[in-house]
Amino acid sequence: MSRTRQLIAALRDELGSGDPLPPAPPLPPIPAPPARVYTPRPEPSAFAAQAARHTTALVGIGHVGTRYATDVVLQFQAELAVAHAAVGAELPEGWAEQQGFIGVRSRVTSHREFLLRPDLGRRLDEDSLAVVRSRARKPVDVQLVVADGLSAVACLQTGKLLHDLVARECAARGLSVGTPIAARFARVWLEDEIGQETQAKVAMILLGERPGLGTGDGLSAYVVYDPRIGKTDGDRNMISNIHPRGIPPDEAAARLAALAAAMIEQRVSGVTLDLGRLGEVTGGRGYRAPQVRQKLVGERGERGERGER
Amino acid sequence: MILEPILPTVLSVRRLRNADPALVVAYGGDPASHTSLGLVTCDQDDALYVALDEATKHSPVDVIFARSFYAGAAHASGRLSGEILGVLAAAEPDAIEAGLEALLRCLAHDACFYDADGKRTVTVFPHVISSLGEYLAREAGLAVGTPMAYLVAPPLEATIALDAALKAAEVRAVRLTPPPTQTNFACAWLTGTLDACEAAAVAYAAAVVEVAGTPRG
Repeated sequence: MSRTRQLIAALRDELGSGDPLPPAPPLPPIPAPPARVYTPRPEPSAFAAQAARHTTALVGIGHVGTRYATDVVLQFQAELAVAHAAVGAELPEGWAEQQGFIGVRSRVTSHREFLLRPDLGRRLDEDSLAVVRSRARKPVDVQLVVADGLSAVACLQTGKLLHDLVARECAARGLSVGTPIAARFARVWLEDEIGQETQAKVAMILLGERPGLGTGDGLSAYVVYDPRIGKTDGDRNMISNIHPRGIPPDEAAARLAALAAAMIEQRVSGVTLDLGRLGEVTGGRGYRAPQVRQKLVGERGERGERGER
Repeated sequence: MILEPILPTVLSVRRLRNADPALVVAYGGDPASHTSLGLVTCDQDDALYVALDEATKHSPVDVIFARSFYAGAAHASGRLSGEILGVLAAAEPDAIEAGLEALLRCLAHDACFYDADGKRTVTVFPHVISSLGEYLAREAGLAVGTPMAYLVAPPLEATIALDAALKAAEVRAVRLTPPPTQTNFACAWLTGTLDACEAAAVAYAAAVVEVAGTPRG
């Protein structure tokens, strides 16, 4: 009963009104504000529902009034946290040597400087330059560089695997592959200096890409013909989203080797490279399996299970 | 029966999911943020003012229009007119739905006039709003969440009762509307602590009942 009704009913009793009031109509159940549950409406368009299943983009996520549903917001926050964590991660010292790479680093001295000064991340420091000059094989057809880029997490997970796969594919095509090099605090253009020093025909850097929502583990590969300091992004070809939910590493390796072979054959790279002559191996516009968004935040029941683990 | 609730009758509830901008402007809204409207008429204007305010607490709606009709429900222009038209506006039909739900719940279970003489010829509206919503807070010039007593009675009863209410508790007059209002009543908005507002409202109701019983006393 409302407070005003209670007050006036009490006053009525006090004034000594004998006859009882008629019973108040029953109140409907009133849920406490945040406990209100909106059932998702079924997507009326079958095409839209099907399309939403084929992407991990935030489409077809519904709404509650003018806002997102709570589970969508929580998932968004969790994915953003994954991305932040990936950017904040660093490649451990000595990782390169443990994995059988020559370890080099850019002119960057700290992780913070790495994020703030892309220009320093594009050049080798003095010691690394000496190491590359003294220990790397030259001349070579393809020089591979594994690097942390903006996601050391991705580099740690699949960097070594992708490097080995690409090296094998290149060798299978009869291309000589340079000494494996792993770089810390590296930006894409670092491949120019390393490739220049090893007199490589093609330089290829495999590095963690800028994390998107829910993909902190994606690698990108940038390939350039005739690497020299001063090459621009227009001179490069690249493959992105190399991770289990995007392009799997073995498929990416085949495409990258084909790309390198085409560059050596055509003697160009970047926008002038004729990709039409590469054929099916670079991946056409064929069928793409549905992508499943990885659920980071579960329903109430699932969360309990997660907590037990 | 003395102080029996006289329940407000909702005469019409209609929605305009996508109102014409010219209409929205004419009724005091902003076409950029107000596309959906909810329109309600009711035979008790003050109960609907309170219910419109209640709606703003439950849903992102704005009250863009609320006006009483001259001389009240007994002299209405039509069967569906009652004595007030209230208009809720929002960017989304869903928000209007949630607002109307809260509004109708308030009219059915909370805000209403009370019979002051047992014959329903004298009525009183001694309503306590424990926490103001955006609409009445703006109208009263108070902060959202402030308690307020919303007191209405016929002219002479209201005058005697307002005096009693102001003396009954530590309350401050926010807005006093001497008779006649558009519906020929008199209205007072008082604020203070919640306890004070409740004491003032009870004193007001008791005074109206007393005057109704002894008009020449």
